[in-house]
Amino acid sequence: MYYTDVLNIIFGLCVLYHTLPAVDSVRWLALAKMTSIGSIDSEDHCDSLYGFVKRQKKLCRKNLEIMDNVKVGALVAIEECQSQFKNRRWNCSTADNKKLFGNVILKQGTREAAFVHAISSAGVAHSVTRACSSGTLQKCGCDRTVRGRSKEGFEWSGCSDNVDYGMAFSKAFVDAREKGKKRKNSGRALMNLHNNEAGRKAVDANMKVDCKCHGVSGSCEMRTCWKAMPSFKKVGEILKEKFDGATEVKHQVKGTRNELVPLNPQFKRHTESDLVYMVASPDFCEADKKTGSLGTHGRICNRTSKAIDGCELLCCGRGYRTRIVTVVERCMCKFLWCCYVKCKECERKVEEHTCL
Amino acid sequence: MGGVVLENLSNKKLSILAVSLLLILIVFFLIGGLIAPAPSNVMNMVTTKCHDITVDVKPKSWYIPRGPAGCDAVDDFDDPIIYQKHVDTRMIVFALWIPYPRDHKQLDMSRWFQNMLTVLQMDIEHRPTNPILENATMKMEVRLGYRNKNDNETDWKELISTSINRPLHCEINGTKNGEQYKCDLVSFFELGSVHYDYYLINLRLPVYPQKPTNQGLGTIKDIWIITIFQNGGFTKVWFALKTTMFPVVLTILVWFWRRIKLLSREPNLLERTLLALGIVLSIMNCPVEWFTIWFDLPWMTIVTDVRQGAFYATLMSFWMIFAGEHIMDSIPKNSLSRYKIHLSLVVFGCLCLFIFEMCEKGMQLANPFYTIWVTETGAHLALAFIILAGMAACTYFLFLSYMIFKVFRNISAKKTALPRMSNIRRKFYMGLIFRFKFLMVLTLLCAALTTIFFIISQVSEGQWKWGDEGISLEYSSAFLTGVYGMWNVYVIGLLSLYAPSHKQYTNADINNSDGSQEEEVQLTQIPTENSALSSYVTKEAED
Repeated sequence: MYYTDVLNIIFGLCVLYHTLPAVDSVRWLALAKMTSIGSIDSEDHCDSLYGFVKRQKKLCRKNLEIMDNVKVGALVAIEECQSQFKNRRWNCSTADNKKLFGNVILKQGTREAAFVHAISSAGVAHSVTRACSSGTLQKCGCDRTVRGRSKEGFEWSGCSDNVDYGMAFSKAFVDAREKGKKRKNSGRALMNLHNNEAGRKAVDANMKVDCKCHGVSGSCEMRTCWKAMPSFKKVGEILKEKFDGATEVKHQVKGTRNELVPLNPQFKRHTESDLVYMVASPDFCEADKKTGSLGTHGRICNRTSKAIDGCELLCCGRGYRTRIVTVVERCMCKFLWCCYVKCKECERKVEEHTCL
Repeated sequence: MGGVVLENLSNKKLSILAVSLLLILIVFFLIGGLIAPAPSNVMNMVTTKCHDITVDVKPKSWYIPRGPAGCDAVDDFDDPIIYQKHVDTRMIVFALWIPYPRDHKQLDMSRWFQNMLTVLQMDIEHRPTNPILENATMKMEVRLGYRNKNDNETDWKELISTSINRPLHCEINGTKNGEQYKCDLVSFFELGSVHYDYYLINLRLPVYPQKPTNQGLGTIKDIWIITIFQNGGFTKVWFALKTTMFPVVLTILVWFWRRIKLLSREPNLLERTLLALGIVLSIMNCPVEWFTIWFDLPWMTIVTDVRQGAFYATLMSFWMIFAGEHIMDSIPKNSLSRYKIHLSLVVFGCLCLFIFEMCEKGMQLANPFYTIWVTETGAHLALAFIILAGMAACTYFLFLSYMIFKVFRNISAKKTALPRMSNIRRKFYMGLIFRFKFLMVLTLLCAALTTIFFIISQVSEGQWKWGDEGISLEYSSAFLTGVYGMWNVYVIGLLSLYAPSHKQYTNADINNSDGSQEEEVQLTQIPTENSALSSYVTKEAED
């Protein structure tokens, strides 16, 4: 009795130890699904937030005003993920408001997990940078890394680019989950850290440099350049490309070096901006609690397509059902550059195919 | 009386002078590179989209993007609230408060920034139902306001309120829904002085019923406003340089002119040109910009540009006259009228640039949003002026090269004749040749340095770093201070080396002291063959 108990406890601890690091490293994304419309406005609120680790709660308390932007970042990340994957078997749907993507992301180091990590860290960086640019955040820093020694600061040499702060905050907040002592060196933590960084790189490396000449009579004797952030759609597209070309890696400990190396030694080593994964993805055909797959039953497919969104592939060969549905659409609108426009409502009959 | 200081200086003294001038130049370069920050800085800000409920109320109040009096902001035009509240284009105000807050403090603009210009970056999404039409033009209603730190939060005062047209040039690769257009930057406004602490922009893109304005602009997501201003640190360093250089050049100028006044003859053309060059440089150096720290002087930028232009024009005229006065032929010299064509070229070129400058910056004094480039005719006109100025510059350089070629041809001709000349004439010609060659080398060196620096500053990232200790060189600042210092040093060198020497030609070469009296030659006036001959004859006779 006593023996088995001890064994059980040890076993349990081991399981905990092994699952904890992998579990819920993007749990904070649940922020996006926070039901209350109100913002995170008190320090107590930070402690009650679901899915935050200690370090993140601390960051939350210290940077209350930024948390709304983190939330926006999580939201746009999920939206973009769903838009990029809308035609695939795994469509980034968030069935569970707390666990969001289910076990597929939380427990296993699949390609999909890699993508979710990358896009969420990119989302935070993007949204915080944007907030800094709009002036709504009081907290964004003004340090000039070069010539920061001047006390006069802004008057002497202006402020650094907004993106520096966005990147730094994303790094501090998103990576916080992997920084615990226990998990520091696990393979999965390394993978997450790498993919988080790759996500931020997708924002940083795709900044567009614009220049303006403003010397005497508009000559280029004086020229000033700045970086413009790519749209988040663009970031999503880039990460989707990285997803398609992701590298399968394994964890390797060599002396003090603790790193991820390509599983196939003949493959070229991944760069900082590439996505990496450790476990091959399931086929996502059938719902499976263990993997977190939702299955493709009932998904709408495209009969004419031969690609992954075609009924053949999406329904995993199970066949599909066709029915005629009437949709009500806004039509004959006169669109302007924004806002409310007057439209008519039209009814249209369309064929809809759903997987069996 | 003899030639200029340059000829009578021993090699040792000359090299000491050259080295010290070079050191001064390096100091200028390093001041720019190590002390000053980059010449200008940029703030890339996104406007806040305010919801204006009082569409038909006039006069319009200010829409402030943040703070206690902040407006009712819309995050995204796709927000369902837009549809619920029937918000239309007339109810949207893009508001921006310059500058942004940082580290929990609302920053404020400084008068040290001197000038500020803004451009718009449009964030436009492609939707198949609403693409950007060709020749799309934005008709913006803008209001620019200002406030000082101690003023009441809502007490914004109006600088200008106007309506402006800006063409929209955008491209797109795909035709996918939601793809972003690549749009050219849209010039916005330019201020010649940054006198107030805060600036507020309220921008509208209204579409009025039954009017064709602001149609086919695509789906605008955001408007970014990029603000470029001169760094305060750079201004301070620049002022410091000007304030030190002004008295230095002025002193040397006074010394130079006193030297000339001491002569028994009238100053010749070259000396007068040098004096003019010194005066124009002093005017350029004169640090009147200090007044901008206390007064609102938006025209100061124009004055600075004009002063700089005047200096370069004088410098070019000087080169022309210098080369012309050293052509050793028998045409009478020493009169400005001889250079009528050449000088009119310089004046014409400068006039073209001046008119262009006045059309752009001059008009901006009245309306900061004015730019000559947005209208078709305006752009053609501006281009025409610039091309004319460029042509004048090309012709000028052709003329100059031809003159220099002539000088060199005559030099080689004179060189073969040198041994046969009388001592004094030989000395005169050798002095002439040396003076000319010295200036040639010096000028070419300066011009080459300017060009090289300029090219590097265009190619490089603007900042160089050595090692990990963070020693970095701000190259674009170094270029500006370096070039400024170089032309100052150049003029100082000219003034001191080409001033008349007080040393007399020793009479050892000329046995006859009376002869020296007769053979007294002006700086660049070559005695005609006749007079030389006659003096020779008198000499013979005396002997």
